[in-house]
Amino acid sequence: MESHSSLQAELKRVKQELASHKIELHQTRGYLQCILQNSEDMIFATDVDGMLVSFSMGGGKALGYSWEDVAGMRVNDLAEDPVSFEQFMTTSSQDGSTVQLDLAFRHKEGGTVYCDVSMINLTNREGQRVGTVGVCRDITLWKKIQEDLVRIDRLAEIGRIAAGVAHEINNPLAVIGEASGWAGVVVGEAKGLSPEDRQELEKAAKEISHQTKRCRNITHQLLDFARDSAPAKTEFDVHDLLKQSISLLKPDLKHTPIEIDLKFMPEPLRISSDPRLLEQVFVNFITNAIYAVREKGKGRIEIRTAKTDSDVEITFKDNGIGIPAENQQKIFELFYSTKPPGKGTGLGLPICRNIVKKLGGIISFDSKPGVGTSFTVRIPVS
Amino acid sequence: MKDQPNIRILLVDDEETLLEYLSKRLLKQGLTVKATFSGEQAIEAAKDEHFDVAVVDLKMPGMDGVETQKTLKETQPFLQCIVLTGHGSIETALESGQQEAFQYLLKPVDYDNLVTVIQEAYKKKMEIQETKFREQVEEIYRSGLGAHGIRKAISDLRKIYGIA
Ligand SMILES: Nc1ncnc2c1ncn2[C@@H]1O[C@H](COP(=O)(O)OP(=O)(O)O)[C@@H](O)[C@H]1O
Ligand SMILES: [Mg+2]
Repeated sequence: MESHSSLQAELKRVKQELASHKIELHQTRGYLQCILQNSEDMIFATDVDGMLVSFSMGGGKALGYSWEDVAGMRVNDLAEDPVSFEQFMTTSSQDGSTVQLDLAFRHKEGGTVYCDVSMINLTNREGQRVGTVGVCRDITLWKKIQEDLVRIDRLAEIGRIAAGVAHEINNPLAVIGEASGWAGVVVGEAKGLSPEDRQELEKAAKEISHQTKRCRNITHQLLDFARDSAPAKTEFDVHDLLKQSISLLKPDLKHTPIEIDLKFMPEPLRISSDPRLLEQVFVNFITNAIYAVREKGKGRIEIRTAKTDSDVEITFKDNGIGIPAENQQKIFELFYSTKPPGKGTGLGLPICRNIVKKLGGIISFDSKPGVGTSFTVRIPVS
Repeated sequence: MKDQPNIRILLVDDEETLLEYLSKRLLKQGLTVKATFSGEQAIEAAKDEHFDVAVVDLKMPGMDGVETQKTLKETQPFLQCIVLTGHGSIETALESGQQEAFQYLLKPVDYDNLVTVIQEAYKKKMEIQETKFREQVEEIYRSGLGAHGIRKAISDLRKIYGIA
């Protein structure tokens, strides 16, 4: 009787204990589930043979696979180099745990995903190994940033060298330009030349001058680009600067049926910024617009100004050839140009972007192939 | 060019070959040209000769362009200076010689553009000079000198202004 009741008590105690274990287990499972669902890291578990038995949401995000995709796969099949991954797993199972930096996985859609990986043996109560758990941190972005930094550094160095070279080349270039100009004058008046020879020589001299100018444009633009002086602020009227920029381009506008339509605000648009840098931006936009319109034959360029409390907005709108959708993301790249050699350097827009950024502003654009393009610069009033 | 005034130009640049060709072309166009290869040479030349426009390279060994144009303007106050700058140096140039120069041009300059700027600089020089000359002549008349005194004073003025 007594033993029966003590058995009863014992059973009750075991039951309670079991219930509390159940709760604990439930909580642990919930906790695990929560980690597996929400961790940004890729967490996987395999059996002793390396067959995947669990794959976290983070893993799905990093590699593009869902659990259904990878169920039944071996984990090393996810690696870019399955053989060395297998070796790494073997070492890890012998040592109990390992960490490997910078391991490459393959994304479902192709492409490489780099991870820092730690692996731990999964053991049962008897201490036998039943599998492996791996925690992988996606460092692809971090790696890319590092590579970008290195590249930016290298670009800056190249920029400095290029600027130096351009600077040095300017002097001989000036001499070539003057010498060819003079040769043209002399040939034009030389006696004893047959008309054909004279024509040939004049043409050659002109060509040298022309090509020298071309080089000069490149060196000037390159130096504009490389120049990294702090903006010099003064107060000025944006409308005046726009008119000045247009007048600089008068030679380009001659003999072309291009209408320039100024839609300025009625009152002066005074701002405090760097007029010389901004002039470069204006000239570049207008030059591009002229080219786009001319390619089409004729047309118009509208220059519009507007103002908010803190910013001014200048829009250059042309009804030229427009920019094909597939080119639109490339136009700000260094040296990207769709113009024939001699007509484009691919430096204009990168220069614009650099300058506008330096002045604390932004550029936006909108273009429809065959219809036209508009570029808008927005910069702070001061 | 027939209707072109006889502009007297002083060129200052240490790049001798460049000046050689530049002078030849400007001469051919009917301008009077003196080429000098340093600031010091230019100042020496400006002691005996009058110029309307000076084209000065900013970066020269020895006396630089800013210094040169300042000194030139001390002897010939109406002289207009066009300063040639390499890229990037324009900022320093602007700081140190803003009021002095008629215009800054980027090297290598475009010849046609240079000629245009020279002509504009000449026009400005003549305007300032004539205004000033007239003022001073009036001053002399007002001063109540005799005919002889006036003639002498005006001829002195002419000398100062480099007007033949
Ligand atoms: N207003 C415009 N209309 C059509 N295409 C344009 C316009 N502005 C720029 N682009 C395109 O962007 C490219 C890059 O421009 P830019 O950097 O100024 O170099 P570049 O003018 O020397 O080619 C141009 O070659 C052209 O294809
Ligand atoms: Mg361009």
